[in-house]
Amino acid sequence: MNRPRALTNRLHRELFATPLDGLITVALLIGLVFALKALLHWSLTQADWVVIQANSTLLAVGRYPLNQQWRLWLLTALLCGAAGISWGLLRGAGWPRSDRLAAAVLLVLSLLLPVGLGLAAPVQQRWWGLTALLLVGRWAAGRWGGDIPKRGRRLLPLTWPLLYLLGLGLIGGGLGLMTVRPSQWGGLLLTLTEASFAISVCCPLGIALALGRRSELPLLRWGSTLYIEFIRGAPLITLLFLGQNILGFLLPGGLAPDRVWRAAWILTFFAAAYVAEAVRAGLAALPRGQWEAARSLGLNMLQTLQHVVLPQALRVALPAIVGQFITLLQDTTLLSLIGLLDLLGVARAVMANPEFLGRNAEVYLVLAILFWCCCAALGLGSRSLERRLNRQHLRSQP
Amino acid sequence: MTSPTTAADPGVVMIEARAVEKWYPNGFHALRGVDLTVHQGEVVVIMGPSGSGKSTFLRTFNALEDFQKGSIVVDGIELSDDVRRIDAIRREVGMVFQQFNLFPHLSVLDNLTLAPTLVRHRSKAEVQRQALELLARVGIHEQAHKFPGQLSGGQQQRVAIARSLCMEPRLLLFDEPTSALDPEMVQEVLMVMQELAKEGMTMVVVTHEVRFARQVADRVVLMADGEVVEIAPPERFFTAPQHPRSRQFLNQIS
Repeated sequence: MNRPRALTNRLHRELFATPLDGLITVALLIGLVFALKALLHWSLTQADWVVIQANSTLLAVGRYPLNQQWRLWLLTALLCGAAGISWGLLRGAGWPRSDRLAAAVLLVLSLLLPVGLGLAAPVQQRWWGLTALLLVGRWAAGRWGGDIPKRGRRLLPLTWPLLYLLGLGLIGGGLGLMTVRPSQWGGLLLTLTEASFAISVCCPLGIALALGRRSELPLLRWGSTLYIEFIRGAPLITLLFLGQNILGFLLPGGLAPDRVWRAAWILTFFAAAYVAEAVRAGLAALPRGQWEAARSLGLNMLQTLQHVVLPQALRVALPAIVGQFITLLQDTTLLSLIGLLDLLGVARAVMANPEFLGRNAEVYLVLAILFWCCCAALGLGSRSLERRLNRQHLRSQP
Repeated sequence: MTSPTTAADPGVVMIEARAVEKWYPNGFHALRGVDLTVHQGEVVVIMGPSGSGKSTFLRTFNALEDFQKGSIVVDGIELSDDVRRIDAIRREVGMVFQQFNLFPHLSVLDNLTLAPTLVRHRSKAEVQRQALELLARVGIHEQAHKFPGQLSGGQQQRVAIARSLCMEPRLLLFDEPTSALDPEMVQEVLMVMQELAKEGMTMVVVTHEVRFARQVADRVVLMADGEVVEIAPPERFFTAPQHPRSRQFLNQIS
């Protein structure tokens, strides 16, 4: 069948199958065209993007000392390299269509966006360098990744937690680097630091809570249940205020963590309760026979959890857990209400500047796009992980 | 190949259950003083109407069910609440379930090798060799790299038997191994069990398969209402049952 014909058929089937379908399609199309036209008109003629150009550094890193910003560039470069290499190792030498598409989008974005935003020439070149690093990493790892011996391959995922710790070191300083206190972190940097910390710590915590809630030890069970129900019954913003005020009173002077870390821990504890409920649903979906089979083969409790129960339960829980991560990322905007300069906090400071009065729409639009990009990345990652796990489940050859 | 069973010695007692009583938490009296002795190399088939407590009784042997009174000694180890003792018994006792209970996220081969490598700390390569031999023995050598969900019920149950054998157990428990199977697959599983019995494996089997009990069992145990009603060799049990409950049961299933 020739392709244009197939396309017309499909359009007809999906959009104009009945008169009512056709009517709805036409109405939606008209609405869409008008909205797009209005948006384009506004962003090209009325909007003033100077507010973004002038404050791009502020939005990205807040009041991070200018002469120390090379550390953040270095960290970004490391992350891009690691991401490219991971991508290549996962896919191998071939470039399937989705990969070609992703690479093309990356190239276009890195070429157009810095220019479009009118960033300084050296910054533009750095963006191009980062993109090149990512794609070269993808190509090289895909080409030669298969030659890495099996034992080494198994250690490779450890790179990411190590890189994370290294990243925290680079951001915060110490060990010969100038210390940059957390109160000086801001913007996207602060948002991503808080979110990534909470995401990586809330997972093990949530799994432990879910297991605790199903434990046979009454104290552990009651404790976990009480914790989960309390956290789920309280709005995050109250917990954040509570954390800022109470932790200071409860812990003697020097011991209370910095305000930024206090907020990070509250976010972590908050998300852990929701992750626990997702994991509990996954555990409940597992037939009792799986436990019985593992135990009657002689596996002990921990081995049963590690090799039989959790791999299956977490797979069921994965979509709900990632949904929680996305919520968590968006919830970081509440930090601006307790006086931290996260992305929204910095944006509010920018909008309060008399120089940029009335430029709220531009700032909020950029904010929304940034958050959308982060959440879309999380969602894409989780869906490809799900597909991978499902394929593994059904593959017929090793 | 190395047979998982040693030469059967009928003098050795594998299971010694004395006056076992069990109440469920809701107060139901499931086992009312049950006695049973199983010798090495013996095949004991437990039959009885549903709700008679036969599965519950079988599951007490590897502590999947607890009991409140009486005593059970398995392979010289007395069952108690001690987790180490329970684990020691479970290492030596294999169990085959009605619903197969294969691990769906692991390949057939990994289903077999998981426990021997983790529990017995044997090398992966050696266990894999043994696992492939066992799979060949139960006739599903070619499926080693498939996942359980891709196999038929009969194939899954044969994998489950091979998985138990891979731990080289001294005793195998079967909890209605053919009850969840389509009729045409029952025979392939029973054949494997019959082979095992011939090689001298000690087996306790809860089943409704009369033909299997007649041909393979050394003794048939009839349970009803949480009690052992009759224990007899199959030819006598099926032709001249002594107890009225046995006669009633045989009338119902024939």
